[in-house]
Amino acid sequence: MAFFFQELVNGVTTGALYSLVALGFSMVYGVLKLLNFAHGDLYMVGAFVGYFLIQWFGGPSALGIPVPLLLIIMFVLAGGLVGGLGVAIERFAYRPLRDAPRIAPLITAIGISFFLENSVLLLFGGQTRVYNTPDFISLSSGITIGPITIDTVQILVLVSGAVLMIGLRLLVSRTGLGRQMRAVASDREAAEMLGINVNMTIAATFFIGSALAGVAGVMAGLMFNQVANTIGFLVGLKAFTAAVVGGIGSIPGAMLGGLLIGIAESMITGYVSSTFTNLIVFGILIVVMLARPSGLLGRVQLAKV
Amino acid sequence: MKGRVITAAAALGALAVAGCGSSSSGGGTSGSGGGTAAKSCVATIGFEGPITGPVAVLGTEQLHFANLALSMDNKANKTKITLKQGDTQLQPSQATTVTQQFTSNSNMVAVVGPAGSQEVEAVGPLFARAGMPFITGSATAAALTTGKYPTFFRVVSKDSVQGPQDANYIVKTLHPKSLMIVDDQEAYSTGLVAAMTPVFKAAGIKVDHESVPQTNVDFSSLVSKVTPSTSVVVLPWQVAANAQQFGRDLAQQHKKTVIFGTDGLFSPGTFTISGSYVSSFGPDITAIPADASIAAAAKAKYGSFGTFGPPVFAATHVIDEAIASVCKAGQTPSRSNVLAAIKKTNESSSILGQPIQFNSHGDLVNGKFFLFKISSSGKYQLIPG
Amino acid sequence: MSHEPEPLPAGAPAPGPAAPEPPASGPRVGADEWVARQAQRREYLPGWRGDAQRLGDRVGWWPRLGTAAAVAALLPLFGLGGFQLQVGINALLLALLAVGLNVTVGWAGLLDLGYVAFFGFGAYGFALLSSGQIGSSGIHLPAYLSLPAVIIGAAILGLLVGLPSRRLIGDYLAIVTLFFGEAFVEFTNNVAPHTLGGPNGIVGIDPIRIGIKFIGTEGLQLTTNRDYYYLLLVLLVVTMAGLHLLDRSRTGRAWRAVRDDPLAAASMTIPVNRVKLMAFALGAMIAALAGSVFAAQQISVFPPDFNTAYLILIYAGLILGGAGSIAGAVVGGLTVVVILDGLLRSPTEAGYIFYGLILVSLVVKVRPWRKLGALLAATIALGFAAHAIAGAISASAVAGGPQSGGWIGSALRDWIIVPASAQTAGNVGFVLVVCLLIALVQLHGRWRTALLVPTIYLAACVWEARLAAEPSITRQILIGAILIVMMNSRPQGLLGSRRVEVIT
Repeated sequence: MAFFFQELVNGVTTGALYSLVALGFSMVYGVLKLLNFAHGDLYMVGAFVGYFLIQWFGGPSALGIPVPLLLIIMFVLAGGLVGGLGVAIERFAYRPLRDAPRIAPLITAIGISFFLENSVLLLFGGQTRVYNTPDFISLSSGITIGPITIDTVQILVLVSGAVLMIGLRLLVSRTGLGRQMRAVASDREAAEMLGINVNMTIAATFFIGSALAGVAGVMAGLMFNQVANTIGFLVGLKAFTAAVVGGIGSIPGAMLGGLLIGIAESMITGYVSSTFTNLIVFGILIVVMLARPSGLLGRVQLAKV
Repeated sequence: MKGRVITAAAALGALAVAGCGSSSSGGGTSGSGGGTAAKSCVATIGFEGPITGPVAVLGTEQLHFANLALSMDNKANKTKITLKQGDTQLQPSQATTVTQQFTSNSNMVAVVGPAGSQEVEAVGPLFARAGMPFITGSATAAALTTGKYPTFFRVVSKDSVQGPQDANYIVKTLHPKSLMIVDDQEAYSTGLVAAMTPVFKAAGIKVDHESVPQTNVDFSSLVSKVTPSTSVVVLPWQVAANAQQFGRDLAQQHKKTVIFGTDGLFSPGTFTISGSYVSSFGPDITAIPADASIAAAAKAKYGSFGTFGPPVFAATHVIDEAIASVCKAGQTPSRSNVLAAIKKTNESSSILGQPIQFNSHGDLVNGKFFLFKISSSGKYQLIPG
Repeated sequence: MSHEPEPLPAGAPAPGPAAPEPPASGPRVGADEWVARQAQRREYLPGWRGDAQRLGDRVGWWPRLGTAAAVAALLPLFGLGGFQLQVGINALLLALLAVGLNVTVGWAGLLDLGYVAFFGFGAYGFALLSSGQIGSSGIHLPAYLSLPAVIIGAAILGLLVGLPSRRLIGDYLAIVTLFFGEAFVEFTNNVAPHTLGGPNGIVGIDPIRIGIKFIGTEGLQLTTNRDYYYLLLVLLVVTMAGLHLLDRSRTGRAWRAVRDDPLAAASMTIPVNRVKLMAFALGAMIAALAGSVFAAQQISVFPPDFNTAYLILIYAGLILGGAGSIAGAVVGGLTVVVILDGLLRSPTEAGYIFYGLILVSLVVKVRPWRKLGALLAATIALGFAAHAIAGAISASAVAGGPQSGGWIGSALRDWIIVPASAQTAGNVGFVLVVCLLIALVQLHGRWRTALLVPTIYLAACVWEARLAAEPSITRQILIGAILIVMMNSRPQGLLGSRRVEVIT
């Protein structure tokens, strides 16, 4: 039983990470109908930003500032910088393609992914950088409920993930910006005619989505310690999966999708065999998709004829 | 608008064709191959490796060490050898394309690489047909040196040597009742697992065989599976950072299991879980006085390095020395005489802390293994004998 | 009379509301692809290019195919070496795959992100049937037996994979096919290692032998690169011909109808589900054919050969060439491989491409020739001035030399600044160039032209100082840049027509 809960904790934590990245992905898709394959690479850039911040403040074993302050700075800076990068990418590469067939921005996104990954390789080299989190957040701090351990980093990820997701939900449903986003997502031309500044709204969406990816990158660095230029691809793929399985364009769906994937992975590794984890997870997801063709929480599209 | 595009594209095409015409087939070289032998020793060698792509960390380290060896040897032997790089992204089909590029280059006499055993299988016949020698620093599958690739050499020992040696050590010294062995779904890893598991089974140890892809960085679920009676977990992985994370997860879940790693984990900068064991082809070159200058130069230029660089340094050095000896004999370096020179390689000492000599199948003769234990301060300590 | 979707000319760019650069936004009257196609209307380019187009139209599709095939067949006779033939083989393979993907994505509108798995299925199937893998000495089926078997197997697999398309549409189908693609690599890597070879793959595959043994002849065994080049050329031409006939048939029209509006198609008694399955199956068959030839030429197959990275390449080829047309798919596939493998793999040619790209974008984007001339003159002047000033300030600032060899290097030696410690300066310069490019997009008019001058100069410096020193990494960066630039300037692809997509 303890084993089950331990695996559950592991799965939920990893799932929270996937959810954060999936959220940004889903937001961008909802507004632009664009599958942003470069999203995973934004996450990677965020992880690098966090790494360099740690080095700036003295390195993991000799930090010059208290840890909570460092964490706040990392989150804010990574979110801000990666958000800005996302806005720049949108302005530079996606805006001219707003009215092109949907498949064209796909290739542009792939081009940006190549560009980002290999620019980081060029600038910073190939060796894996390590956060060395246990040097400044001790592994033994955390909650221990019986035989189950949840360390500080995992708690941090869960809490900040929850906060961000709730904040995003509130943003989209309660604020004016959220209303504009929903309007643009629903019908861009009508929104333009109603006086909504579509360019601004899309830029804001990209900023928030990319910032979420950047923050997720820092969290991943804290949890998994390793930062390399290739970490973005796999996570981007999983985020894409989570967003679609949960119902693309739906925020609670992206959260649910991410959690589902995280828990499925950890349960199957724990109970079945790690060799076939990916295969079985794919199988489960295919079954889910066939059972609910619009995703778990996606709304069935009604097309007016 | 479209007309301009067409005109511009035509201009670009003309430029490219002019480029094709002016360079020799397969790529321009700086320096004519051969030249007057006695005056200057000029040759071109190639490097094949995963310089970009999923394991760029390996390929870039190998490339750096190849370049380092080349510059040091050029200065020492007064040769003018140039290196051309070919990126395979660890994909055998790309390795084929790169190899075709190299073999079509009439100036190229030898190649360092490729990195993976799969790639060697894919390109071995091509090199054999071209009569071009190729030396790898990291492809360790036993099946490669059964004689089917007459121009293949390697400066590291094969899995069928490292695997049983490590397994025997574990059985005799660590006495586990049950252990977990995890492969990373790459040929290197599965080869070692296949070599080690029979030894464990014969000793009556309960073996839990797990498998996670190399891209996986989250091991918490796997670590949760480690039972209290599992005293050893064997990680024949290539990515040291993954093993470091695994060790962290072990500590976080309060498990006292000892990690045993193979040469892929030998990375004093990255894998530092105290109490772990690591086996390696080469000693810690930062601890050998003779290698001090190389280690210092590498660190200054490229930062920290792991286990993949030094063997490629050794391989490049072998080729450089072969070319230099051909030139000293008054001949122009060509594939056939460089191949012959490599076969006669007899270095009494090398960066890997052991003499280098190849047997008839291209394997390293008497490849030594070094076993290290990581101390509580993270330092690698050599276990004697 | 051609039924190929012809590219519509840009004409005068329609002034969009806020976007200063072409293409125009929104559907335009009279530019509807369907209407233009039905009425076989097209506008020709002015001048001699229009005459060439009219000639091409008069000649017809089949002679054009024949000419292209003849040119391609004559190429190896001009002394192409082993490497160039390998690039040719890679190019023809990708073209074949792009043409097959075009059936599913371009014609039927089904986003299939697992297409590379069919390619892998074909390769592994051929490998299993025509090598020593299964059993003690293996089944060594001759090619004329194993190829059809593999293709039929792929058709069945395509039908199976296409089954979810009954319930899933658009991106949901894409995700399921993506799973399938990823699952294939996992499957071949981890499942049944004794049969499928695991990470060690299958080696020792028989080469393809044409001709039947019992007639008394040994048949022609294809071993060299040239043999496989011609085989692939023949296969590609035959496939293109077959697809062209299919395109003009009821099935082709049914696919286009299903792509544009499935509900309307269903109301017109088109069996939508069956049509979708056919698209999947046909795409899978073509991919399997390509896979078999790939396996025979490589003599070995390994799981990483069929990963998502290769799928991205196929898509890049298809979309760059223009999804929806056979010629577009082929041209796109060929272009991608020739640039990627043929040109960018050699550092000197990469340099040509880099400078060529800059020049081409300038020629295309900077409108009056006078302005372009002034721009180039200013850049050259800035370069010499900067070099002189930097040299005067400190000798180490210009101590390094340009990486490019040949005539470009010697021409640029006194023009660019390459410091002695090129790496850090190159990195900083690289980041600066990217920032400048982003800033350029925001500016308009004279400011934009003014900022272009230092941007171009800095880009050349960064290339010589840093990028050319790392050819493999630069190659990837260049591919990314090429994809971005090409899609921005021509989103419909080289030979695509601008489709009007009305999203409700």
